Amino acid sequence: MQGGSAPREPAPVLNTSSTILNMREKEKYIEDFDFPFCDESSKYEKVAKIGQGTFGEVFKARARNSNKKFVAMKKVLMDNEKEGFPITALREIKILQLLKHENVVNLIEICRTKATLHNKYRSTFYLVFDFCEHDLAGLLSNVNVKFSLGEIKKVMQQLLNGLYYIHSNKILHRDMKAANVLITKNGILKLADFGLARAFSVAKSGQANKYTNRVVTLWYRPPELLLGDRNYGPPVDMWGAGCIMAEMWTRSPIMQGPTEQQQLILISQLCGSCTPDVWPGVESLDLYNKMELPKGQKRKVKERLKPYVKDPYGCDLLDKLLQLDPAKRYDADTALNHDFFWTDPMPCDLANMLAQHTQSMFEYLAPPRRPGHLRHHHHPPGAQPKPAQPPQDSGYQDRVF
Amino acid sequence: MAGNFWQSSHHQQWILDKQDLVRDRQLDLAKLSEEEYQKIFNFFASIIQVLGEQLKLRQQVIATATVYFKRFYARNSLKCIDPLLLAPTCVFLASKVEEFGVISNSRLITTCQTVIKNKFSYAYGQQEFPYRTNHILECEFYLLENLDCCLIVYQPYRPLLLFVQDIGQDDQLLTYAWRIVNDSLRTDVSLLYPPYQIAIGALHIACVMLGKENLKPWFAELNVDMDKIQEIVRSIINLYEMWKSYDEKKEIQSLLGKMPKPCPAPQR
Repeated sequence: MQGGSAPREPAPVLNTSSTILNMREKEKYIEDFDFPFCDESSKYEKVAKIGQGTFGEVFKARARNSNKKFVAMKKVLMDNEKEGFPITALREIKILQLLKHENVVNLIEICRTKATLHNKYRSTFYLVFDFCEHDLAGLLSNVNVKFSLGEIKKVMQQLLNGLYYIHSNKILHRDMKAANVLITKNGILKLADFGLARAFSVAKSGQANKYTNRVVTLWYRPPELLLGDRNYGPPVDMWGAGCIMAEMWTRSPIMQGPTEQQQLILISQLCGSCTPDVWPGVESLDLYNKMELPKGQKRKVKERLKPYVKDPYGCDLLDKLLQLDPAKRYDADTALNHDFFWTDPMPCDLANMLAQHTQSMFEYLAPPRRPGHLRHHHHPPGAQPKPAQPPQDSGYQDRVF
Repeated sequence: MAGNFWQSSHHQQWILDKQDLVRDRQLDLAKLSEEEYQKIFNFFASIIQVLGEQLKLRQQVIATATVYFKRFYARNSLKCIDPLLLAPTCVFLASKVEEFGVISNSRLITTCQTVIKNKFSYAYGQQEFPYRTNHILECEFYLLENLDCCLIVYQPYRPLLLFVQDIGQDDQLLTYAWRIVNDSLRTDVSLLYPPYQIAIGALHIACVMLGKENLKPWFAELNVDMDKIQEIVRSIINLYEMWKSYDEKKEIQSLLGKMPKPCPAPQR
């Protein structure tokens, strides 16, 4: 198996001196290191690095067997030694094994490197997925890729279909953003990166859920999370769907706050002030009195998006998805029934448009996108958002469990 | 997470065939009788149960840990990994998978040490729990590989609740059947039958114990393979029979002595 195989894997991270056991010591309790149940990752040959996921790098690879099929391999990064196999990876594995749908990325199998003395008997695990040629962030950053209204509808319809499916399986994605929306060359959309996803239950009266609110990349984070809600649900993903939908026209994320506070201000400037009038119960969220919330802001979603979106149905659906009050935000089912999807031009296949582009487009490989289009003209003093430099807060170090 | 048992890895990969199970155990059964083998698993199921209770885990987590443990040895000899190491590793992994959180390393090791010392000294005498965090973290990798990363285990508890609801809430019946499901973890039924059948089997035994004749029509109307239910019932009754004539405190030391152990590879 080793002959002519892939370049040697770097040793896994878990190799501090405390974990190195010598051969003799180990044999006291483990006899055989060779277990045949997960296939070895050397059955695939890495071609290129295509991304950085929530808990590890992602590679494009090709099967060494006869069919030469392309796959994406996501390396499980062991960054917290004490936790053992990361709980985020365990969640992603069990959730992906549960979810099988055309609009959800397909997990083929889990592979590992062989445990040898070389890697201190600790395999590196890889999640192996069907390969998708593009991600939405990569496509949107390429000015040569032009989506017609019908094609935008198709993208959104598939995205909402995927969300409808995962939500009805009681799963929250919790990291909706354009870079996590993959699109195959045949124009099939796949929701990807379930590294932050988790199962949810509908809170029974009296006992609220206590999920972490340190989820979702900042620019796509809904107001309830920014205000410290821990008993949230599917609407957190629907907010992200709204942000992504707007991005289909603006071509870059619509609210690029550099901090959580700034993000809330940007949201208020677009969607109006967060008040108990428009959002009953907002006053009882943990951070309602701790964050600075702009007062007297009017809702300008349609007004500010109309110049980009033009289609009145599209503007209306955006307005319904970017609702401050999660209880009023459209769910995936209602959104799919919106007139936007049922008026001319009807959703139309993406395959023809994508056929003009033969090169893979991933955000990871693309040049940085232009700073946000939806800048507001009169910022409160001292609240000038910094230009495009990616905010630290949107990075993955943000995740605390 | 709702999920569908019929599409799950539990149903598709991990409902084993009895013949296969017996065949895969041949290596161990050359050294141990079938009964001795069951007694050893009974013992380690107790260790997992007590560990879980000390760590204040839900029964669901304990049950999942026990099934992981049984799945590992369904495909491997006892000599592959010392079961005293695999047991806490299963608890550690199950707690994460069942969203009960990461058990802190030091708490896990300390609990193992206390439990072995205070509750199982009849088996291990003065010998201390010999493993440390690094052993458990490494063992977790082997466990994951051998489970083929099949993490979701469906348990009989939820179907049991639904059945009892259907019968008409009966707390005594539920309590009895629930305990019987717990006991069933000490048999092979979790490897051989789907959880809803185990729940029905447990209900069946509970009805007999409580003399609930009036539920016969309810069982008669179930659309299930009654032969399978009978097999489950027999496995559990066999366990109870064994318990009657078995004094673990006296016998377990010699059984552990007979257990196949890792033998060092020849020197290179």
